[in-house]
Amino acid sequence: MPGIDECLLEAMRVPGARGAALVDWTSGLALGTVGEAPGGDHETTAAEAAELARLAAEHGAFAAEPDGERPPVEDLIVSNRDSYHLLRFVVTSFDSTVFLHLWLARDEGNLALARIRLGEMADRLVLA
Amino acid sequence: MTMVGTPPPLPVRGKEGGQGRTQGALSPMLSRLADERATGVLIREHGTLHLSDGHVVHAESRLAPGLDLLLTAHGPLGTADWQQAGRRTDSLPGAARLLLDAGRLTTGVLELCHLGALFDAGYFALAPSSTPGRFRYGIAPGPAPLRPVPVTALERETVRRRELLHRIWPDPATDSAPLIRADPVAAPPVTSRQRAVLELVDGVRAAPDIARELGRRTFQTLVDVRRLAAAGLVAPGTAPGPSPPPLPQVTDPDIALLKRLRDALEAL
Repeated sequence: MPGIDECLLEAMRVPGARGAALVDWTSGLALGTVGEAPGGDHETTAAEAAELARLAAEHGAFAAEPDGERPPVEDLIVSNRDSYHLLRFVVTSFDSTVFLHLWLARDEGNLALARIRLGEMADRLVLA
Repeated sequence: MTMVGTPPPLPVRGKEGGQGRTQGALSPMLSRLADERATGVLIREHGTLHLSDGHVVHAESRLAPGLDLLLTAHGPLGTADWQQAGRRTDSLPGAARLLLDAGRLTTGVLELCHLGALFDAGYFALAPSSTPGRFRYGIAPGPAPLRPVPVTALERETVRRRELLHRIWPDPATDSAPLIRADPVAAPPVTSRQRAVLELVDGVRAAPDIARELGRRTFQTLVDVRRLAAAGLVAPGTAPGPSPPPLPQVTDPDIALLKRLRDALEAL
């Protein structure tokens, strides 16, 4: 079963991956990082991504119909001229507020594939 | 209609503060122990840090739920599983390791819960205290540590968490006092996490009690409570709890002093 490091290393095997992190979105703490970060600073990236994730998770506008267990939002996609950012919420039964953040080079990355892979990794990380 | 303000941004350490720059700001003793790569237990007023080779491997505080509670409250483990493992070893990480080896827990779940508990208890352990800390040198705890955290990482995160709470609502009274519900004229909507907290506000429980009851980390509950306070939905009760701990102030004089020293040194 993978731990945090194995999960992040696996994320780096997604085509076009530049960097990945596991971030707590309440506090903005990066629990693990690998590869590059935009601006070279994983800590700042984690805090900024956490802010975005929290807004999306807490504002009703983006939520699916509530079903009790699943979080309201699955993932977030931000695209810019040269890269994609993919933020995937990790669903746990115990108290945790974390997401996986994958930074992809736009010309090498395949967003659809990365989205599927990251979802699988998020599930495997906390497989009971 | 009340508009909900955007939550304050998460604090980001200034670019000028490089790796480890806050070292020594919270507990000079801890920094010294990290430098000498000490192994043992640092006992402070509001919590305990277990060090191995100068890294934090485990933290406990009476204000924060332990690893056992996080794993058993809504987690993959039953209380019986935990008690059985606990009988075979005398430490929480030891019991966790046994469960991991027995296949009752996965590495990912354990690491997430362990880090969650460590940073949570560490936040309280590093709160300003009125009594000096004590360090007991010891041997490294039996099983290999899960994910050791550098002392500087815990210190910087603790400072950042203080700033985050301060930005949400600057009054620390709601962190420790029994909470009462307020009734604003136009109540803003709350998140489901906050609603669960709000439902346990009864004039007796304080934020750490609510966290324990919900099986949640205390710091995350303090965030919810301060946001509820900012929204006018809860307020600190008038009667203080039996043992209200002095809570961290954001304006840490040691940090200011260290920054001045650093600037002076850099200017040389």
